[in-house]
Amino acid sequence: MTTKVLALPSKVPAAEKLSIKKLLRTMWRQRWLYFLMTPTLIYFVVFKYGPLWNAQIAFKDFKPLLGVWGSPWVGFEHFGTFINSFYFTELMANTIIFSVAKLVLGLPLAVIVAIALHETWLLRFRTLVQTAIYLPHFLSWVIMFGVMLVILSPGNGLLNAIIERFGGEPIAFLTSPKYFRWVVILSDIWKETGWGTILYLAALLAISPDLYEAAAVDGATPLQRIWYISLPGILPVIVLVTLLRMGHILEAGFNQIFVLYSIPVYSVGDIIDTWVYRQGVLNFQFSLATAVGFFKGVIGLVLITISNRVAKRLAQQSIY
Amino acid sequence: MLYTKTRDARIYQVGIAIFLTVILLIIVIPFWQVIVTAFVPLDIYTREGIPFFLPPTKWTLEAFKQLMGHSQFARALWNSVVITVLGVTISMTLTVPLAYGLSTRNLPGRKLIMTLVLFTYLFSPGLIPVYLLITGMKLTNNYLAVILPPAVSVYNTLVMMSFFEGLPEDLKEAARLDGANELQVLWNVVLPLSKPILLTIGLFYAVYFWNEFFTPLLYLNRNDLLPLPVLLRNILISSSLNEYVEYNAFSTSPIESLKAAGVLITMLPMFLIYPWIQRYFTKGTLVGGVKE
Amino acid sequence: MKSWKMIFVVFVLVLSQILAACGAPATPTEVAPPEAPEAPAEPTKAPEPTTPPEPVDITMWLQATVTEAGPPPDDWIAYDIIREELGINLEYVIIPPAGDGEAKLNAAAAANDLPDFFQVTSTNRGGERDNLVNYYELGLVAPVDDMFAMMPERTKNHYNNQNLLDLLTFDGAVYGLPAPPSIPKREGFVIRQDWLDALDLEAPTTPEELLAVAKAFTEQDPDGNGKNDTYGIGAFIEGPGVGRRFNFVFGAYGVLDVWNFVDASPDKFELNVRDPQYYEAMQVMVALNEAGVVDPDWPTLSKDEFRARWKQGRFGIMWEDFAALSNKSNYEPFDTNFPDGSWTPLPALIGPGGEAYYGLDDAQFNVFAVSQRAVDEGKMEAIARLLEWIATDGYYLLGFGEEGVNFNLDEKGFINIDGIDEAQAYSAPERQPFTQMRNQLVFYNTLAEISARYPNYTTEGGREMTPIDTYLSFFQSQNWVPAFAKLLIQPPANAADFERFYNEGIIQFVLGQKELTPESWAEFLAGLDGQGAKEYEAAAQQVLSDAGLLK
Repeated sequence: MTTKVLALPSKVPAAEKLSIKKLLRTMWRQRWLYFLMTPTLIYFVVFKYGPLWNAQIAFKDFKPLLGVWGSPWVGFEHFGTFINSFYFTELMANTIIFSVAKLVLGLPLAVIVAIALHETWLLRFRTLVQTAIYLPHFLSWVIMFGVMLVILSPGNGLLNAIIERFGGEPIAFLTSPKYFRWVVILSDIWKETGWGTILYLAALLAISPDLYEAAAVDGATPLQRIWYISLPGILPVIVLVTLLRMGHILEAGFNQIFVLYSIPVYSVGDIIDTWVYRQGVLNFQFSLATAVGFFKGVIGLVLITISNRVAKRLAQQSIY
Repeated sequence: MLYTKTRDARIYQVGIAIFLTVILLIIVIPFWQVIVTAFVPLDIYTREGIPFFLPPTKWTLEAFKQLMGHSQFARALWNSVVITVLGVTISMTLTVPLAYGLSTRNLPGRKLIMTLVLFTYLFSPGLIPVYLLITGMKLTNNYLAVILPPAVSVYNTLVMMSFFEGLPEDLKEAARLDGANELQVLWNVVLPLSKPILLTIGLFYAVYFWNEFFTPLLYLNRNDLLPLPVLLRNILISSSLNEYVEYNAFSTSPIESLKAAGVLITMLPMFLIYPWIQRYFTKGTLVGGVKE
Repeated sequence: MKSWKMIFVVFVLVLSQILAACGAPATPTEVAPPEAPEAPAEPTKAPEPTTPPEPVDITMWLQATVTEAGPPPDDWIAYDIIREELGINLEYVIIPPAGDGEAKLNAAAAANDLPDFFQVTSTNRGGERDNLVNYYELGLVAPVDDMFAMMPERTKNHYNNQNLLDLLTFDGAVYGLPAPPSIPKREGFVIRQDWLDALDLEAPTTPEELLAVAKAFTEQDPDGNGKNDTYGIGAFIEGPGVGRRFNFVFGAYGVLDVWNFVDASPDKFELNVRDPQYYEAMQVMVALNEAGVVDPDWPTLSKDEFRARWKQGRFGIMWEDFAALSNKSNYEPFDTNFPDGSWTPLPALIGPGGEAYYGLDDAQFNVFAVSQRAVDEGKMEAIARLLEWIATDGYYLLGFGEEGVNFNLDEKGFINIDGIDEAQAYSAPERQPFTQMRNQLVFYNTLAEISARYPNYTTEGGREMTPIDTYLSFFQSQNWVPAFAKLLIQPPANAADFERFYNEGIIQFVLGQKELTPESWAEFLAGLDGQGAKEYEAAAQQVLSDAGLLK
């Protein structure tokens, strides 16, 4: 089982400096593989790098009539607009808090639920639970807001009815800065955890049953079984997902926040993407949004590089 | 599975079952609200809003009838099926070779490709640059405009790659020694062993294409091309916007019910496809009985 | 392994079937629409055919009148008439509402791919002009001055308001077609009369009395159901600050909306928050919220949720649109729940300074534009021909349907549906797709239109409901602050930050998240200055005096 999850460019070991002839021979041996990959690579050039070429408007004052190439350069002006904006620090903080909290709380829960599903003997029950917990993923946030209003409203919400029955004061969950972050984080976990288990379940199923049989013969306890077989078996996926999420650390869930937030909770709810939306929509700023996209990419690059290093060390230890 | 059914094991199983039941309840109780919303009759809704318990005799299919009776419904449903099937096919055809290539450690140029792929994951160009490309290619009013830009998800590719890497190397080696080329190794050895992940990633793509409303809304102008999510979204957000409430297009159902019913209709394929997928999820996967 | 391949084969088969069935994905074959097409008679009053040699392709992007109803079917009779009699192949695209539609339009603008003729949309009230300015500055829209002579009837009826034309005139040329405004001054302050009667109260006339009545509505069970489930006031945030649903509070202090039009003069034009009276209005808002007499969900509700709540009898005082309040389709649920319930319109509350303004009359109107590309391709004349037809021979067809089938016309020119099949009536849900252009391009607020749109009817309790006479006329007779000059004020460069600071500051005071004291208020104003409020005010004053609107 391999530990290396992402191969960011690293130095080629001296031992691999082999003759060009040998390299060509390896390449010829793999010709079918190159052939297979060619359509996808062409696809990447056209549909991923094509837009990135157009994304130079981040450094330009984009005018539709002049086109991407003809528009005048303005350098880092749009980046400056964003970084010097009044709420920049707060936007960054909110974005990172949401993004990290969803990862740190949501991912372990998904793994635990996946392991529980994998462990249970009750196959029908398992099918039922599996199917049910995926469902919330399909609710759009607009619908979610309706449901949350029914449950959380301080006027007649179900949860507040319970709080009041036990003598508490009703809480304005959706409009109180004290609770809003939890509302966002927990509703996201509620909606997405079940969907997240699919991946870990698939990973668990890819573990050879022989390992479990051997463990059973050795008389391993369930916890030992999970700790020494299941978890190491899905560790590469966990590490990979974590790393990829780090790369998108500044994506905190625009659709969710946009639907749930309101003016009273801007201070704890406004994120980079909602700001870009308001600023961009009002002022017709095509370039600004693209510039912020670049900014997010740079931060993602830094974080994914660091966490890849960390993971390489830690994951190795945990596997062996 | 061959677990010995000792007393401890039973207690453990009860614990697991309780845990899963709790999770199930946490999920189902709020979800119940969505279901009730979809079936609540207009008179109860206007009197008391959405109740948590709806008397069994009061349930009504009115919202579903209204949605399915919409003049565009059948057309939109069909369009959604076409977009999803085409999308998943193109996506998988492009994703699998890349994931497999990247999982081949000794492939010359692998690191370069990986870097280039990862770069596109980190730097997303945003709406306008993609739009300029698509309109420049004259793909407006073409399903390819909806399908191609998101056809390969780097996230899905790397997850699939990680699974391919986990496959035992000796099976592939054995096939290669038998004279199989990489294409045959992929087709005869790797893919049959990777059903769970292929289904998972296929499902991810399918759900994406099935639910996507924003790209169709941008690139498809002709009404007969629009998929279901666009139709449902227009219904969904219209109620907050109609200034001139002169006549309603839906008179016998509360708008909230229409929203909820729309969501339940979109989920339906999930219910239909799921048992089929489930079969491949529960079967042991590494059929070859490979020892590591 | 075998089954795996089987699945693949089946999958490929399904796929090939789909592809075969629909041809190339870009050009799906015509699938018969589920509903049976009607067999419309030839229009009786066909104009003289002026068919030009070759049909012109015109793409037209408009918002819908009834979004959820969908577009007209492909075999709509109007398409045939437009093609045969006007020589135009019309591609009519309904763009989605709100932000979605704006994103679609802006993306098309970025690609210099705007449709020939389109409705300028904005999520901001009055933001249409701002967007048109943007398109103008980017050179994407064409001047329309030449079109007026090409469509005399339409110009006479639709584009006769010089004030609106001036608003869309840049550098001496008109760049947008202003649709006749939706009925002005159409919103107002209303109270549940049956609740007042049940508690034996008088309608409030001052902010203090408002608080007292709202308190009674909240605490004394005005609906007599024995449950503590009512609030005094209902609202949601619509517009800057707390929004205009609290106009009845701010009007009493002469500080409606953002800009101070009440005290505007050539050398003074400021934000309302600078007026000391704004602070007093804020104190009232704080008192209302502290007393718990406003439905506590108000800061997060949307319009439809707000409307669902008054129909459920959640609150007894509100600011509402007259049609939403009284037109049959929207009033019916309320009527079913509360056959004895009724809303009485109230005049403006009188503040301590004797001021009593009702609302801000800021002239909302739709804006339509012709893209420069269309003009370059020589399509302007065809667009004008289409618009003129819609205002003349096409008027009834696009506004109501076919005479005798979907509506009747009496000798005075009024619309009725006597003897018309219910499902065929122009007001029936089934007919909505056929009149989707009516609020965009057809109607211009004639008396016949208004009485067709807002007819009188009888409630469950046997009361005669007269939307126009009871509500609209009352609202319009109140003391509104004329403020259509507001549209000239462009948002500041740091709009997202400025508006957030402004809105958040006000809401935090109102909800008690920040204590409202003269010191904290001064601090808020200083913070606004830090966001460039002074420069914003100076720029606004400049624009308005340049336009000669500050007297």
